[in-house]
Formats: sequence, C-alpha cells, structure tokens
Amino acid sequence: MNTEQTVAFSEARMLEFLESASDEDLDRLDFGVIGIDAGTNVKRYNRFESAAAGLSKDRVIGYALFTVVAPCMNNFMVAQRFEDAQEQGSALDDTIDYVLTLRMRPVKVKLRLLAAPDRALRYVLVQRQT
Amino acid sequence: MSAPVEEEYEALLQFMYMAPIGLVQTLADGEITMVNPLCAQLLMPLSPDGQLSNLFVALEAVMPDLRQRVQDFPDGHGTVCDALQVPIASGHAGRRQSQVLSLTLLKLDAERLMAVISDVTQSVRRDRELRQSQAWINTLAIGLTDYALVSLDPRGCIQDWNPSIERITGFSAEQVSGRSLSMFYPGDAISEQRVLDRLHEADRTGWSLDEGWCMRADGSRYWGSCLIAPLHDRDECSTQDEHAYSLIIRDVSDRREAAEALLKAVSCDHLTGLYNRRAFFEAAELEMQRWARFPRPMSLVMIDADHFKRINDQYGHAAGDAVLRHLAAGMSATFRAMDVLARLGGEEFVVLLPDTTLEGAEAVARRFCQLIAGQSVEVGDQAIRYTVSAGIATMDEDVANIDALMQRADEALYAAKAGGRNRVERWQPESHPAIAR
Repeated sequence: MNTEQTVAFSEARMLEFLESASDEDLDRLDFGVIGIDAGTNVKRYNRFESAAAGLSKDRVIGYALFTVVAPCMNNFMVAQRFEDAQEQGSALDDTIDYVLTLRMRPVKVKLRLLAAPDRALRYVLVQRQT
Repeated sequence: MSAPVEEEYEALLQFMYMAPIGLVQTLADGEITMVNPLCAQLLMPLSPDGQLSNLFVALEAVMPDLRQRVQDFPDGHGTVCDALQVPIASGHAGRRQSQVLSLTLLKLDAERLMAVISDVTQSVRRDRELRQSQAWINTLAIGLTDYALVSLDPRGCIQDWNPSIERITGFSAEQVSGRSLSMFYPGDAISEQRVLDRLHEADRTGWSLDEGWCMRADGSRYWGSCLIAPLHDRDECSTQDEHAYSLIIRDVSDRREAAEALLKAVSCDHLTGLYNRRAFFEAAELEMQRWARFPRPMSLVMIDADHFKRINDQYGHAAGDAVLRHLAAGMSATFRAMDVLARLGGEEFVVLLPDTTLEGAEAVARRFCQLIAGQSVEVGDQAIRYTVSAGIATMDEDVANIDALMQRADEALYAAKAGGRNRVERWQPESHPAIAR
C-alpha cells in the first residue's frame, strides 16, 4: 500500500488535496468524499462512499446531492451551512457529528464540510465513527 | 428479462433514499432498526443527544408521551396514532422556524413499530387560511342577519357614519366617530396594538377575519364575525397615512354554539377547556410574528401545580383531574380574554400575555397564585387544598422564538419550585448558567 497517498480525514490542507487529487486518489481514501458544484449537483463521489451508501457512481454523479443522494443532509445542520458560506462568500471547514442512513441503517459519522469562495467544488467528507 | 438482483436492489435502495417522506422502523422500545434519509433530515435537528438510535428519545422534547402511548396501545397490531400533527421549532438560534410534523405510528407486532413522518408545515398553513375563508363564505351564504359597514382610517378609527352601525351595535354617530374599532369589543378582548396588528394583517393578506364576542352600546354581548379589508390598492405604493379599511361586523349569534364547538374540538384540551399544546403554538407563533414586526412588551407565565403527584396518589386521579379543572378555571378568571391560556400537558400550564410588561405579568401571576392558595377544591366529601408555582419571562431581542421564551420562564419556574413553591419568580439573566443548583 502506498502510504504517502493516504490522507487523513482531518488533514488541514484538505481542499488543496481534493482539488489536485485524481479519481483514483480519492478511491484510495478510507473515508467518503462527495464533491458538489455551485448548484449542489454531485461531481465527485469516491469508492468508499459508494460502497457505504450502496449506490454506484453513475446513479449519483450529476444528480442533486440534497434531493437524490443524501436528502438527510438537507437541513440547517448541513445544507444551510453551505448556503450561508456561499451567500457570505466565506470559507467553510466545519466538522460535525451526524447520523447518516446508509442502506437505511442509522450510522454515526463525522461530516467535514468544506467550501472556499475561490474553489469551484465544495465537499462533504464522511468518516464512520466506531 | 429482469435486471440482475443487485441492480434491482440498488434501484430499490435509491428509491428509499429519495422518497420524499420519512420512514422509520423500530423495536418496541423505540430503538431504530431502519430509517430513510428524509426521516433523518427531520429528526436530527430534534435529537437531544445528536444520535438517531431511538425514536422515542429523538421525539422526546416534542412528544414526551409517545412511549407511553405505545405502551398503552391495547391491540397486538394497529395504528397507534394517525397523522398526528406535532409542532416543532428548528433552525439555528436567531432564525428558528416553526414547523409542523405529521406522525403516523403503526404497531406491526409485539416487537416492531413503523412510523411515517413528514413535514406538513405548508399544508397546515394553507388549511388554516382555507378554514378562515370558508368560515367567512359560510357567514355570507347562510347568514340572514344584518351587517354593519364601517370605514376605518389608518389607525383603525371610525371615519364615516352609517346607519347600519346603529342597527347592529346600538352606537350612535356621535358615539363612534373618531373612536377606535376596539369599542365594538368587550374591554379586555382587544388592545390598541392588536387593532394595528389586524390592519397590518389585512394589508398583507387582503383581509383579517375573526369571530368572537362583541359588545353593543348597552353592554350586552353578541357573537360577531368581523372582517377587515383594505380599501386601498395593495400593490400601490401608498403611504401608511393614505390607508383606509372597511370593517364589516355581522351578528352571527345563532352560529355561535356550532362555531365554538368546532373551535373547541380542534383547539382545546379536553379536560380543562383551555387551548391545547398545538393551538397554543399556533397562537404563540402569530404573536411572535407580530412582535418581530413591531416589538412591544410581551410576557409569558409558566404555571405548574405543586406536588401534583402527591395529590394524585393521595386522592386518586379523578381528584387530580378536578384540581386541574379548578386551576384552569382560576386562570380563565384571572387572565384577560386576549391572553393565550393553554395546558401544555400534565399539570403544566402556560399563559402568553401580549402587550404586557414583566411587572404586569408578575402582578397578575401573583394574584393567581394567591387566588389558588386561598381556595379549596371539593371532590366528594374531601376539600383539597393545593398551590401553584409560576415562572415569568418577557420578550427581548435575545429571545429567538417561543421555545426560547418558554425556556426562560421554565427556568424561573424551576427557581420558584426550588425556593419553596407557592410563589412567582422572574427569569434572572445571571442565574442562567447556574441552572443545576
């Protein structure tokens, strides 16, 4: 295993890494990565997240995150944070405890929400909590 | 040929992910075994522990009796509750919103429950508006009674005389000219501020309608339906000073019983006749909107019967019910008609007092406290004496919503209990962090 490719969930310069990482790089991560564009459509979706949710990439890429992929995040705790950052043109890097409904099972996760005014994509990172 | 099972499974999974309604399956004790995303979206903001492991825990704050309801459900399977409307508040502090969730809970068997949860905020609002319009159309359609037509100036004062006013209300031209429309109501039913609120609501929605007791010149009361409609064009950029309104008052006394019975069935607590929890939040929300538009004094009193469990244990539940009815009757006699009186549940009551300062609310709450302490409730041959404690809080810009105001009053109530009961306490800002005394 190529250890220098493994980036930790809490990596400080995460946005820079994600921006430069290839799809293969993202697939090697041991946490979920969902990248969305300004219209909240999913542009990037890595293997870890795909396996956890039970959805293949082609069912997700190009679709609206908060409607088709993860409606559970469409509240003030997640979606609102992205909206606020977008509205204020400010950077966002919040990590919150959350519960996702992966394959209809409640699963405790940490979500890291990332956005910056000068970046095209915004990211939701998902790490399972044990 | 059919698609491979895996593919169908994935499609089914996504169908559940996207379903625009919340679905959750639990064990008999509420432990969540399966839950779909929309359900998580609705429940996560409510969850007190930031988890989603138990449905009863997640709904604890808004439906404290859910676990009990399930336990009390007599049949092996069936509908425990059907499209029950649960008012909640969600969102960040500072810009919280009121939402209404609909909850249907099915008992599948001894081990499993299934719930359907959806956000019905919009439809509840639409229903309410529809109910109002229907009520008014009904009055027009079936009412053969006469009506009074009054024109109002921007402050809600009567501009022009019209003989219909005298026919319905008994007031003469000299008596009404230039006076506020509040003169058509009993003394404590409408404040001057409320008059302006109603004009504003008419501006915003095209009309303002209410039904309730009105008063004639000779002091006699009748059940009136009162519609205020703007005469100025809504879209026109006219200044407030140019606004004018028409007020139509109809005597619908013959419909009063039916109207009251309907209102009671939907809005009232069956035991005490006060507003139920849902009606309280509906009314409180309206008051909060009015406050946000135009801040003015507004206070809230939380009331709790002291040692109520002891009363129940000592005298039985029937006596407990009699005490609660007595307490509610005392509240109705003490507070004003314009105050919002409700039973939140158990022995817990609340009063929202529009246009009332902290001092004003405290004075009336003390009066109530003394009234209760000085009386006894006759149940059979027993004379039960009891007391109440009350906590008071008042609106300011730091209070984001009705929940926050209730929270403050609750803290004050806690202080009243801790201070020996049978007393009234105000919310103290400095005591806030030290709640765990």
